[in-house]
Amino acid sequence: MLKATIDADILKESIDALSALVTECRLHTDENGVITRAVDTANVAMVSLTLKKEAFESYSSSKSELGLDIAKMKNVFTMMGKNDIITLELPENSHKLKISFEGYRYSLTLLDPSTIRKDPNPPNIDLPGKVVLPGAELNNAIKAATVVSDKIALGIDPQAQIFYMTAEGDTDHIRREFGKDEVNFLNGVEARSLFSLDYLKDMGRVMSRAAEVEVSLGTDHPAKFSFYIASGNGRVEYLLAPRIEAD
Amino acid sequence: MDFTEFAQICEQLEGTSGRLETIDIISRILTGLPDDELPIFIRFVMGRIFPDWSPKKLGIGPNLLYEGIAYVAGIRRDDVVQVINRTGDVGRAVEELLAQKEQTSFFSENLTITDVYRDLTSIAASEGKKSQREKLLLVRRLFTNARPLEGKYLSRIMLEDLRIGVGEGNAREAIAKAFAVDPVLVEYAFQAENDLGKVALLARKGNNSLRDVRIEPFRPVRMMLAQQGTINGAVADNGAMAAEYKYDGSRFQFHKAGNRCKIYSRKLEEVTAALPDISESLMAATTHDVILDGEVIAISGGKPMPFQTVLRRFRRKHGIDLIREEIRMVPNVFDILYLDGKTLIDQPLSERRKKLEGVLTGYLAPQIVSDDTDEIDRMYRDALAAGHEGLMLKVPGSPYTPGVRGKNWIKIKPDVDTLDLAVIGADWGEGKRAHVFGSFLLACQDQDELIPLSKVATGFSDEQLQEIYSLLKDRVISQQGKEVRFEPGLVVEVGYSEIQTSPNYESGFALRFPRFIGLRDDKSIDEIETLDGIRERYARQGGNRSQ
Repeated sequence: MLKATIDADILKESIDALSALVTECRLHTDENGVITRAVDTANVAMVSLTLKKEAFESYSSSKSELGLDIAKMKNVFTMMGKNDIITLELPENSHKLKISFEGYRYSLTLLDPSTIRKDPNPPNIDLPGKVVLPGAELNNAIKAATVVSDKIALGIDPQAQIFYMTAEGDTDHIRREFGKDEVNFLNGVEARSLFSLDYLKDMGRVMSRAAEVEVSLGTDHPAKFSFYIASGNGRVEYLLAPRIEAD
Repeated sequence: MDFTEFAQICEQLEGTSGRLETIDIISRILTGLPDDELPIFIRFVMGRIFPDWSPKKLGIGPNLLYEGIAYVAGIRRDDVVQVINRTGDVGRAVEELLAQKEQTSFFSENLTITDVYRDLTSIAASEGKKSQREKLLLVRRLFTNARPLEGKYLSRIMLEDLRIGVGEGNAREAIAKAFAVDPVLVEYAFQAENDLGKVALLARKGNNSLRDVRIEPFRPVRMMLAQQGTINGAVADNGAMAAEYKYDGSRFQFHKAGNRCKIYSRKLEEVTAALPDISESLMAATTHDVILDGEVIAISGGKPMPFQTVLRRFRRKHGIDLIREEIRMVPNVFDILYLDGKTLIDQPLSERRKKLEGVLTGYLAPQIVSDDTDEIDRMYRDALAAGHEGLMLKVPGSPYTPGVRGKNWIKIKPDVDTLDLAVIGADWGEGKRAHVFGSFLLACQDQDELIPLSKVATGFSDEQLQEIYSLLKDRVISQQGKEVRFEPGLVVEVGYSEIQTSPNYESGFALRFPRFIGLRDDKSIDEIETLDGIRERYARQGGNRSQ
């Protein structure tokens, strides 16, 4: 059972964070809120999303698991107005999620959770380098890199106190450096890993709305990007597997 | 079955040259497979994905595949093509490239053959604006998860060319052996079912299940094919023959049940929407449930139009109503495979013909049965004079054998014409032809310029390809991917069955069935066919192309 009302923007923000990587996911709900964790089809990127009950205008739910078709959900968004309050309702033992706002009454058939890939276990990794910067800056650097290449290196140079993003094309090269005045070095240790821009591009669009994104890095290790949504009542974590260049 | 295991089996089979040993290996695996994996395995091992009758197409071209591999390996597409050129084989190239994947993943899943089949099915199902992108993502996912050896055979399956020497014959015999059933019944069931996967399941149930197989409307059956021959030879071998015109149109199969009908092309693709006139004609011509075999010809102003006109209609998806008026499509029906719930392919042609005459009003292809070669020869000349391709001679007592190019159907047609043309480009060959050029771009001349006319890829012996390679290898002036351009100099003689208009080549024409006849070392570039000459030949073949 789920019965909740939520601001249209917060709902969109949350679903967009998921749709950057996956087209369907399992939502777990309980009295405290909603959690989901999903991995993209190639097992290269993971997303986990937590939405506390405080992110909702009103919220009550029993422990349950919902199979969400994200593409369908996004279709519903096209009808939503900016500050609409959305009512979500899933009666006990029902497979149809009722979504209503502004005179619209949707009934969305949910996916059978057992047909959706199981929640991935996040790998147990230590990512020592940690910086915090505005999501918009991060996204701008990603966008700049896509012009010259399809991959980008993210790294920390502890001597120079620099967080950098560089992309190497066949003929062109781009480097964006962030100094101490732009980035908060939580842990400025040596790190450098290469990532596919294909994934980062979509993740960057979502992160651009976050005031602060915490980036965790290692060398030839995955990267973790964490940020708050829903005025601090929700948190998103992206984990992206690196590309490792042959010697 | 894990796809790794499948790949290992493929590797074993690829290294097995003996037919019996191949059959033995496959048959031992078949017995152990559960029902859900059996059909997938038997199709995969032949390098096929979907049942032969299925209209599903994977729709992955080499380029999409190279792009997916390039991404996973972390190299450029051009570099993928280079490795393919070097190894001469997409599978081996993929195996090599996947040994050093650049993109890592959080965990790798063991792919099963069922997983692969499911993913390939979703690839085939994605259509519309974003379909290429979706296909690419699925291809990447498969290769990100695939081990090198898996990648080798996965890529070959995607291109539907497994190259491990398992054809239909071996697969049929392996099924018969695995389930101790009669090979003749396996073959019979396959002809009717058109899917060895399904046949394997039936074989597991025994001989009776195979014997009970029936043809059903809307599951297309492969078409029976003809061998080239002579009138005298056919009559000497068989006595009286049933003679019909060989139409210069396109083969079709018409399925009707109740008030529903569908039309399939020779490649068993559904073309119903492109041929509303044929549906209307045949729906009105019979009240029975039938599967008919025939040839569509195009008529304009009372005269048959070239084969191309019909083909263009087959491909057409929009604006059918507009062009319907200009060119009339006429069905010529010459066989019946199914009638009101009964499968007729086992019956002799003479019986099928009687049934056909009994249920179809009009559109029946004329037929004579005769052992008089003079009479048949007269009909042959009538056929040519009327603008048809020649004659079909069929053994009256023979069954309909789907997909078989046997001796029961003989085609009689005039020898093909030939042209002398310049070789201006080539594509690198594949497989055993990897280190030579495999197909050649040919040009005619027009006022001192060479104008591309057609490609030729058949008619060469391996020795000839080697010889041509040595003549051309030092004339390469540019190379892009698998394509090479030459400094012109070499002249070849090429046979063809028809000149067609074509947007693919600068000349505006192309050759139908181009075939290498021989080198013309004795000719220089300025002696090759002119574009005006091509135009003349094209114009001449318009009315009566036999002369």
